[in-house]
Amino acid sequence: MRNVIVTGGSRGLGLGIVRRLTEAGYRTIAIARKETAQLQSAMEDGERDHHGSLRFVPFDLSRIDEIPRLVKTLRKDFGPIYGLVNNAAVGFDGVLAIMHNSQIEELVRVNTLSPIVLTKYVVRSMMADGGGRIVNVASIIGFTGYSGLSVYGATKASMIGFTRSLAREVGRMGVNVNSVAPGFVDTEMTQKLEDEQRQQIARRSALRRLPDIDDVAHAVEFLLGEQSKSITGTVLTVDAGNTA
Amino acid sequence: MSVRLSVISQVEQVAKEQKKKLAPLSDDLVLLDSGLDSLCFAIIVARLEDALGIDPFSTAEDAGFPVTLGDLIRFYEEAGK
Ligand SMILES: NC(=O)c1ccc[n+]([C@@H]2O[C@H](COP(=O)([O-])OP(=O)(O)OC[C@H]3O[C@@H](n4cnc5c(N)ncnc54)[C@H](OP(=O)(O)O)[C@@H]3O)[C@@H](O)[C@H]2O)c1
Repeated sequence: MRNVIVTGGSRGLGLGIVRRLTEAGYRTIAIARKETAQLQSAMEDGERDHHGSLRFVPFDLSRIDEIPRLVKTLRKDFGPIYGLVNNAAVGFDGVLAIMHNSQIEELVRVNTLSPIVLTKYVVRSMMADGGGRIVNVASIIGFTGYSGLSVYGATKASMIGFTRSLAREVGRMGVNVNSVAPGFVDTEMTQKLEDEQRQQIARRSALRRLPDIDDVAHAVEFLLGEQSKSITGTVLTVDAGNTA
Repeated sequence: MSVRLSVISQVEQVAKEQKKKLAPLSDDLVLLDSGLDSLCFAIIVARLEDALGIDPFSTAEDAGFPVTLGDLIRFYEEAGK
């Protein structure tokens, strides 16, 4: 069974991705700080239906120095890692001019530094094992603007730049690296949006609605699967046409 | 297997897998002239971590990469002590 690590797999998009991949037969390893009731029920479903298997590994991804040890433990406990989905992120918003520096740092640490360092340790084991797949969860905010999201937007744009160059670097080692850029999806991260804003985003989208968690999960599944073997270094936008 | 032999066998193994022509190995061989490129060394570091249980690059204070094969072997020998 192929192992796929999904960071931030405890709720929101990450949980949707974890559910999809487990159903598709992967052994999915969800990483987050806290286990949630929804994740527990996903694990029970996985056990009952015997698709793949789903494991939870508690870890605080802002602890950069601990990441090498995390990857070592994962390899020891689960064996070779086929896929890595860098999904965990924080989404603080705020006007840059008065945003606390500690929040700016936290955003960059969790959304940019941490996935880069995690990828460093995972990709080289993929190379040593002869290949693998990496999917970085970016956001349309990485290439369009949204007031109050300048730092968040910078971190999401960083995932896209990271994807393109890393894809070139590790392609000949059999590792594909892609990004998924979701538009606004209803999760805890976007709870702060007013209904009014939500409707406005939907109205401005080609399909007149928001994408849902499953849409994003399917895109990630595709980028991990056989059908996407010739796709690397690209960004798959899943936004119901918001940026079309 | 000694640390020295582990390093050398990984160097030879990765060269074979990646179809690189390896220069004759000696302690003063400059790694850049060995025929292996930096991605090959990344694989060697990953494999040695599995084989020896150590990654001296993650714990090292300074960011430099060893220059010669002898330096590389000593780097692992020191870290394994
Ligand atoms: N929702 C959207 O509309 C939207 C749109 C575009 C892109 N995205 C992107 O999609 C991804 C998921 O977003 P979401 O909306 O699903 O977010 P979410 O509901 O807030 O979930 C975030 C996940 O990341 C984990 N996480 C956060 N900080 C962590 C840390 N320090 N260590 C370990 N895990 C951590 C959380 O678990 P713990 O808190 O327990 O650690 C949780 O599992 C993010 O990359 C986001 O930028 C979301």
